[in-house]
Amino acid sequence: MYRKQDKKTKIFKHIFIWLVIAFALFPLVWTLSAALNPANTLINQKLIPQNASLTNFKYLFNNTQHPFPIWLWNSVKISFITSFIAVSMTALAAYPFSRFKFRGRRNGLFVILLIQIFPQMLAMVAIYLLFLNIQEVLPAFGLNTHPAIITIYLGGAIGVNTWLMKGYLDTIPTSLEEAAYIDGASKFQAFYRIILPLARPILAVLFVLQFIATYSEYILASIILNSNQKYTLAVGLHLFISDMYSNRWGVFSAAALLGALPIVILFMLVQKYIVHGLIGGAVKG
Amino acid sequence: MKLWRNNLLHLAKIIILSILDALAVWSATILFTEHKYIFLSVLIIVTVIINFIYLSKKTYALRYILPGTFFMILLVVYPIIYTVYVSFTNYGTGNILTKPQVINQIENRYYLPEDTEGFSFEAYKLPDQKEYAVLLKNEEGKLYLAIEEKVTEVTEADSRFVDQDNDGKIDMIGNYEHLDRAQLFKNLSVLQNLEFSLNDNILKMKSISQFSLYRQQYKYVEAEDKIIDLKNNISYFPQEGSFTSPEGEKLMPGYRTYLGWKNYFTLFTDSRVSGPFLRVFIWTFEWAILSVLTTFVLGLFLAILLNDKTLKFRKIYRVILILPYALPAFISVLIWRGLLNTEVGVINQILNTLSLQSIPWLQSVFWSRFALVVINLWLGFPYMMLISLGSLQSISGELYEAASIDGASAWQRFKFITLPLILVSLGPLLISSFAFNFNNFNVIYLFNEGGPPIVGAQTPAGGTDILISYTYRLSFESGRGADFGLASTVSIIIFMITAVITWFNFKYTGALEEVKENV
Amino acid sequence: MKKFVVFLLVLTMLFSFNALVAASEEGKLLIWADENRIKVLDTVKDEFEEEYGITVEIQEKAFGDIRDNMAVEAPSGEGPDIIVGAHDWLGNLVSNGLISPIDLGDKKDDFYPVAIDAFSWGEDVYAVPYAIESVGLIYNKDIIPDPPKNFAAFETIVSNVTNEEKEMYGFIMPQPDPYHTFPFMSAAGGYVFGTEDGKLNPNDVGLNNEGAVLGLKKLDSLYEEGSVPFVDYQTMESLFTNGQVGMMLTGPWALPALSEAGINYGFTQLPHIEGQPPKPFVGVQGFMISAFSKNKILAQTFLNEFIANKETMTALYENGSRPPVYLPSAEEAADNPDVAGVLKSASDGVPMPSIPEMASVWEAWSDALELVLTQKQDVKPALDNAVAQINKAIEASQ
Repeated sequence: MYRKQDKKTKIFKHIFIWLVIAFALFPLVWTLSAALNPANTLINQKLIPQNASLTNFKYLFNNTQHPFPIWLWNSVKISFITSFIAVSMTALAAYPFSRFKFRGRRNGLFVILLIQIFPQMLAMVAIYLLFLNIQEVLPAFGLNTHPAIITIYLGGAIGVNTWLMKGYLDTIPTSLEEAAYIDGASKFQAFYRIILPLARPILAVLFVLQFIATYSEYILASIILNSNQKYTLAVGLHLFISDMYSNRWGVFSAAALLGALPIVILFMLVQKYIVHGLIGGAVKG
Repeated sequence: MKLWRNNLLHLAKIIILSILDALAVWSATILFTEHKYIFLSVLIIVTVIINFIYLSKKTYALRYILPGTFFMILLVVYPIIYTVYVSFTNYGTGNILTKPQVINQIENRYYLPEDTEGFSFEAYKLPDQKEYAVLLKNEEGKLYLAIEEKVTEVTEADSRFVDQDNDGKIDMIGNYEHLDRAQLFKNLSVLQNLEFSLNDNILKMKSISQFSLYRQQYKYVEAEDKIIDLKNNISYFPQEGSFTSPEGEKLMPGYRTYLGWKNYFTLFTDSRVSGPFLRVFIWTFEWAILSVLTTFVLGLFLAILLNDKTLKFRKIYRVILILPYALPAFISVLIWRGLLNTEVGVINQILNTLSLQSIPWLQSVFWSRFALVVINLWLGFPYMMLISLGSLQSISGELYEAASIDGASAWQRFKFITLPLILVSLGPLLISSFAFNFNNFNVIYLFNEGGPPIVGAQTPAGGTDILISYTYRLSFESGRGADFGLASTVSIIIFMITAVITWFNFKYTGALEEVKENV
Repeated sequence: MKKFVVFLLVLTMLFSFNALVAASEEGKLLIWADENRIKVLDTVKDEFEEEYGITVEIQEKAFGDIRDNMAVEAPSGEGPDIIVGAHDWLGNLVSNGLISPIDLGDKKDDFYPVAIDAFSWGEDVYAVPYAIESVGLIYNKDIIPDPPKNFAAFETIVSNVTNEEKEMYGFIMPQPDPYHTFPFMSAAGGYVFGTEDGKLNPNDVGLNNEGAVLGLKKLDSLYEEGSVPFVDYQTMESLFTNGQVGMMLTGPWALPALSEAGINYGFTQLPHIEGQPPKPFVGVQGFMISAFSKNKILAQTFLNEFIANKETMTALYENGSRPPVYLPSAEEAADNPDVAGVLKSASDGVPMPSIPEMASVWEAWSDALELVLTQKQDVKPALDNAVAQINKAIEASQ
């Protein structure tokens, strides 16, 4: 990578990427075509639909029964808050696993991973009952509230992501913190001021991962949230396709594509943090 | 990094801790007044633990781990415990209520005795109190007054009746004021529960315009734990979650009850489980391995390409390649399903225009599996790309420089530097990705519901069914519908299988944990 | 860190303000309905609120979620007072103790008896029914002016119209779909559950009897010779809407899209087999009251006075095209040929079994249909195997 690449390799790289891009975009192009097709069917269509129009998109913004913009906003809000808190908690949790020696360190990490792979088929019922009780004490965190669903998503914050974070932290030399201790920093300050900024690439990755996971979750949101005004995008989208005899593919496709926009924007905003890591340049191992 | 900032941090910690404690005390009083003692004790224990961890020096490491762990225990561990509990019960269709709920519901069943009567009525209410009087008139025109829990026959000349405007309607009974129709509706929730007794019968509201005489049909006898049918004089005793008569007739609904190991026994002895087990197990394995391998290889390869700072358009490429991940998976799978439709799907149409035969994507076991792996590759490679991209940042550029100077080829650099280092941080993620796909019910189910079916199968387990999808189907689309008890048992057993596999994976790639610290 | 704490505090405060919880509360009605009913209910709701000053809240749920979420939410006291659903949920809901009987009073006689029967369980009625549905033959009048009355004529038309190169199809039905295939299997005597003392007997499954095998064989011959493509519902509907299909088998829910697309269609009964009329499943939809409602009388009054009247029932019909079962509305609607067609089809039909054991049937049955119609297995062994699977599943639950 630090030698001059010959032209052939470069072209080959671009061709390969273009092939993958074609694979990635193929279904999306057809989704777009369905979204532009006022006839509301997904199958048996032409790539460029006859009398293509924005009817389906307009429907999304002019429908009081299905307030799509509100769903979109709810999802963005919930995912953003969840990701922010979850990444903070993951970073905190991963740090001692990477740096401190304490009893149960190895097993603790393994258990965190194991617990998260339990097939949570009944979580829905259990969590519903839990929030029914929480509601009596803290109505702000009761059923049909966004704080409740955010809290629920935070349950999955530490899990495999802790491993990812820990793996990254392991590669940051401890000499940096030792230097900070000599300057009089506390352990927490060394973590917060020295290590966290260096871990920015992985924090950005974690944020994106958490955001996407939250953004597309359906089952728990559908049981906790109960009114049109509170629904997230995934729950709302499900309404469009649930009635098997009145599927509205066009509207559904339009909504799905618009729904992907926040994630694309988010990724565009954070990608510079992901690839412009400080490691390898500023820090020497 | 001056000393005083340490104090500030310490102060912040104390303040947050006190706020949390205050909140806990406040919640505790509510829980206490509502007699929720289990929750109360959990709350107290948790609060004590939190305080201990943040105040004791010995538990320093735990201070970092606690916030995430707290939510994990509340929202992941607690549902697991609940699942374990449910697996020992008959919770499912026909048995979803608790025993007290069922007794209450059955005791509230009334029947109309043969000599029943309907009464038209007018309701009266004490101002500012929830005290009601009801003036009833039967079909013969006899008047009854139900007041203060008693019913007496009255005449129109009763001294308590006041007809203020002389329109023949009684406006007040003593201090009770007449309720007009709108007011009646507002007070319905109380009125509908009023019960008076009249000649051994119960006088109860039947509809918005009528009271009627009823008799209670069932009575629960606590001492003998049985329900008596007062009308037909039959006793019903509890049996596996239903009150059952000696003749075997069950009272609906049933209730949730402890079954012991019955669900586990069912799972291990049912030939519908054991029959297709091996076939399904092998495919589950293949599926999980293929899913992890394909997505990781493609994802890592792309990440390496896109990490190259000399590559043009890399920013745009990254954004486009993240797109499949930006759509919720349940939507993408449905879209793919449409594209792969055998008769009219776009993909087969394209094959046809290339003069190729249509492929039965959804009808052939091989092609269904093939399509699933491709779809999952589409769904999953951006994830692998993202985490690889993140991890690549931790590899020092100097390593490559040194290697280049030594004359290592690109492949050698990848094999001896990138891959080993990447695997240190990503290895555990790959293992958990394996576990996730092992139980990836959603993709399998949404694509083809586990189909296509297999000729002569003992149970509707199809060609793409994985362990979890066909066992869940046994608990949800069989018998009387949703059997949460059995489904929980399935979850636990499958978790154990997955846990063992995961453990082995860790053991045999075990170096992972040891290769660490300052590479 | 400081910023983070401030952020959290602000967050908590913000959220405390919008903690509105919707649940069955005293003196307020909560209704769960799917989007098809919502429009009509919204207008009724306003009238009711105006007349009685009682708040009515309507929540939109996906149709299937209404039943599933009831099991979780109703027992907790957080569920709705009224739900909109189908009669085949009855076994599930009643055996779970989730709905209460309804007292229709004098209005009982204002409904088709079959609708009341469908919603009856034991001695009680559990819903105010409003619509009936069953599948039939929908044909494109521009392609097929005269729909076939018997199977022989049907076969001829199908093979005449079908032309793969021009992508024209004589007949299409969704597959693998037991619900839509049942009329062919039932015409000559197939049934799902036999009856015993007027009750369905889950231990008597008749999906592999002579009549069922005969009916499916006839249907399969069309698939075998390639005259009928094996497609799902979506595909069938889009092909028909494109004018590429002569006849399709489905119910009145498909009609609004057809009129919208300007297709000149008719709705009639399916062709007779061996002189016997096909017996499709009849489904009835209605309004039910939760057993955990704190406002049963209020809910009852709402249903009896504001739903069971001509105006609302007609509005519900006009919004969904399923024939009304409320007689005053039905009489008026009977002039509509679509309604007449559905009613004719339904008049020979059988109510879809509502006992919970029906859950054991669909999957096995659907698998058998797929194996037969994609020519992987013969009719008789496939159905025998399906019935064996069903019997086993039902046994295991007893």
